[in-house]
Amino acid sequence: MSGTIVRTGTIADAVASGEMPGRVWLYSNYHCNLACGYCLTESSPHSPRRLLTADLMASVARDAQALGFTDLGVTGGEPFLLPWLTDTVLEMADFLPVVVNTNGTLFGGDRLGRVARLGGARVALQISLDSHLADVNDEARGPDNFAKVVDVVPRLLGEGIEVRIATTTAGPLDDPSLEPLRALVASLGVTAEHHVIRPIVRRGRADELGIGLLAAARDIPSELTITADGAFWGSFAPTVVNDVLDIDLLVSRTVLPLEIPALALLGLLRDQPAGGDSPLGIRCA
Amino acid sequence: MGMTRLRLLDSSSAPLSTLPYFEHGDPGPIVAALAHVPELLAPTASFIGAALGPGAASTRHKEMAILRTSAIQGCQYCTRAHTVASLASGLTDEEVRALRNEQPWTESFRNEDERALLAWIDAMASTGPVDELTWATARARWPDHLLVELAVTIGATILLNRFATGFELPTSVDVAERLAAGGWA
Repeated sequence: MSGTIVRTGTIADAVASGEMPGRVWLYSNYHCNLACGYCLTESSPHSPRRLLTADLMASVARDAQALGFTDLGVTGGEPFLLPWLTDTVLEMADFLPVVVNTNGTLFGGDRLGRVARLGGARVALQISLDSHLADVNDEARGPDNFAKVVDVVPRLLGEGIEVRIATTTAGPLDDPSLEPLRALVASLGVTAEHHVIRPIVRRGRADELGIGLLAAARDIPSELTITADGAFWGSFAPTVVNDVLDIDLLVSRTVLPLEIPALALLGLLRDQPAGGDSPLGIRCA
Repeated sequence: MGMTRLRLLDSSSAPLSTLPYFEHGDPGPIVAALAHVPELLAPTASFIGAALGPGAASTRHKEMAILRTSAIQGCQYCTRAHTVASLASGLTDEEVRALRNEQPWTESFRNEDERALLAWIDAMASTGPVDELTWATARARWPDHLLVELAVTIGATILLNRFATGFELPTSVDVAERLAAGGWA
């Protein structure tokens, strides 16, 4: 008899069958040290923080494992603006593997020491990088962003931390112009498997600017997403436009016990019209 | 719709699971407000529908309970909406004015059964205990199951009264037009 735990129950069965994606996302916070032009959440240093507490994040992780989910994701805002984040992510990783979306610009000085404790844990850092050209990347993501990311990725890998790169592009996902970026990412030590390339979604600040893909609910990955304002359809759902949170893809205001929003999301998934997967290629990790 | 303290959601802003309520146009301010908490909309709407909708009690007696409760609670939204509903159920203008507290109902309701019921409704819709005489008089004339049903109706009405008053929900255009046509405030 193997040591594998086979979970049963409505959610576990739906995850195991592929009916429901296995990852649960948590928006730890909405504020950010950057203010990217296409940001879904209008994040900036001045954004309302919409914080999740460390206790709540750990409780979500515990519930997610018990229900049969397979993975966790933490996103924001910039999660590492929270000084306690590393400890909380390590606690969450005791339950399930965690990927943390980060802009990678806050790991200088003491912060690298704090995040280095993630080495060897079931934690991956997914860092944003949009172009192999510093000026193009920095135009969208802020001054010196390119240099900071290119510098920190090898150092994180050297600490034994799994690093992934996320690229958000306004062009086609198979655009040949992305090849130099793929090569740069590979040269940094990140495998192609760990390089996510996704389109700009026309929500949040991108909607204000009129850029990105128009996406209906079924085009957006339906990964249960927990925020300070409730549970949402996916991590592209709890967007902000003109300081107002979009709730068109709100699943429930209740977030714990996690079974409540999980069952609500499953009900919505089962109500979706039959059809193939979205061709838009929107993915979070 | 007029001003309200809440952003009233519409089909473009309401959560996915609530969209069936918006399929046939504006569902009214109560649903448009409840949609902010999608997991509460369906059970609340279901409860309200059962509590205020058809039951063993007649439509007349249900509307008496709802309108009287709304007037006692000082809810302008519900009083206006159920003035229209009460008139549609067959209550007379004089009876409706009495239920709205515009004149003593003792002058407009002569049937002893209904007078016993109204005294009990008044006590139930107010704070504090229901005195023994009021209860005993109502129970002598009405079956237990009907009083239980109307107690739930009164409770659900108070919920709506506080919801509509607290958020200053606007009277719907349809109700406002029908009230104006009949010379009602």
